[in-house]
Amino acid sequence: MIETLLDLLQYRFFSNALLAAFFASIACGIIGTYIVSRRIVFISGGITHASFGGIGISYYYSFDPIAGAAVFAVLSALGIQFMKEKTQVREDSLIGILWSLGMAVGIIFVFITPGYAPDLMGYLFGSIMTVSGSDLTVMGILTFVIALFFILFYKPVLFISFDQEYAKTHRAPVKLMNFILITLVALTVVLSIKVAGVILVLSLLTIPQTTANIFSHNFRNIMLFSILVAFAGCFAGLLISFELNIPSGASIIFSLIVIFIIAKLFDIITTHIKIVKSIKNNN
Amino acid sequence: MQKILEISSLSAGYGDNIVLRDINFSVYENDFIGIIGPNGGGKTTLLKVIMGVIKPFKGKVRFFHNQSNARNIIGYLPQMNLFDKDFPITVVDVVLSGLLSRDGVFGKYSRRQKEHAEKLLQKMGIGDLSKTPVGKLSGGQLQRVYLCRAIISSPQLLILDEPNTFVDTGFEKDFYEILRELNKEMAVIIVSHDVGTITWYVKTIACVNKRLHYHPSNVITQEQLEAYNCPIQIITHGDVPHTVLKKHKEQHD
Repeated sequence: MIETLLDLLQYRFFSNALLAAFFASIACGIIGTYIVSRRIVFISGGITHASFGGIGISYYYSFDPIAGAAVFAVLSALGIQFMKEKTQVREDSLIGILWSLGMAVGIIFVFITPGYAPDLMGYLFGSIMTVSGSDLTVMGILTFVIALFFILFYKPVLFISFDQEYAKTHRAPVKLMNFILITLVALTVVLSIKVAGVILVLSLLTIPQTTANIFSHNFRNIMLFSILVAFAGCFAGLLISFELNIPSGASIIFSLIVIFIIAKLFDIITTHIKIVKSIKNNN
Repeated sequence: MQKILEISSLSAGYGDNIVLRDINFSVYENDFIGIIGPNGGGKTTLLKVIMGVIKPFKGKVRFFHNQSNARNIIGYLPQMNLFDKDFPITVVDVVLSGLLSRDGVFGKYSRRQKEHAEKLLQKMGIGDLSKTPVGKLSGGQLQRVYLCRAIISSPQLLILDEPNTFVDTGFEKDFYEILRELNKEMAVIIVSHDVGTITWYVKTIACVNKRLHYHPSNVITQEQLEAYNCPIQIITHGDVPHTVLKKHKEQHD
């Protein structure tokens, strides 16, 4: 096993994949904790799927699909946030509309693009093995920006997320923060598309956090633990994908789920043992 | 006595709905004021104006900074609201969030600030809960945590919005004793529509129903009420504290 790993690391595509997994784990560990705590997973799903519209249009005009995805993701994120603040539109309906509209636009443009779209499946389900050097540079910069923002503004992020009304009484810049954070969510989604694809990316933002939440109720610890879980899942998924020759996005998600189940079982067993012990001690 | 806050000829509301009209009101250090009045009379709006969450249509809110020390002006204990019980935040972090506007938004808390938060929690009798997720607290425990959050910045004025909506009757008496203790260091304003208990503790009463009437004592007689035309309950303090309910002519403007 270790030998195969060392062999694999010789390959450029594999070390690139590992580095991409590393960046995505950090970004998703941080942003995922934010969206799970704030219960905006559905909004994030809407942003993710809306970004496919950008991928489709980029195909047609032969731009970089990731750049197109970024534009669509950020615009839909800001649009949702703006509607939330200003209008009386039902938020979940609006997200549902954006979600399907993005997918529809994307598939229309992919369809009318002449020729065959070979890596379309990669954008839908992830293709971490095809990450290029320039992809890595963009991922690295975005991850750095997100991490830096959360380190600098950890306090207001936490308090605005927990109690927005109270933060307002402290004259904290609640609106501005909400707009910045939703933009960071959109950028995280985009930088993770290479890893897990438009359809599977939500799992990187939720499964590690749910696993971490079993053991901790502290925002900071959940962030750090989620990063570890996400990276472990990506790493295991990569190896499995390579050994069994199955799509990497799916094997990463399965690895994350297996880690979650093991953690949950561990938690159930240890709680059970604690209860049994305390009953014994009382007798 | 030093003035902390002065509100002059203030009108405020939402959209084209005027909730407060021509309010004149001052708060001095060591005041302990109960703000009472019917629901929808403008109590919460008055608080929002004082805290700068909404801007008044007309008039001014002025604060008088105490230059000698860098104390925060306002500490605020909000109404018991529904919050996400699953939000991953510990008690001590909630308390520390009261320092947000004073220490800016960057970086981490100092060891001294953390110790101060722990000390406040101990004072309230919940020192052992500092690392507990806030979703696991009872109503009374949560109220104490919110009180710690309100006073950690050593404010000059403590504002409590409907503190009796937190369900924990066993703690109510202690709670008012704590407030009396805090009143030695800061002015206190309690807002409530339930006049029963609070008039026992406050020094003066302000009655808010569109307009504000200030009663410079905590006893309001029926004659005074009729003179001021306040449509509220009458408060008397006999051997047993009780309130007499009496309907008054509604004021029309």
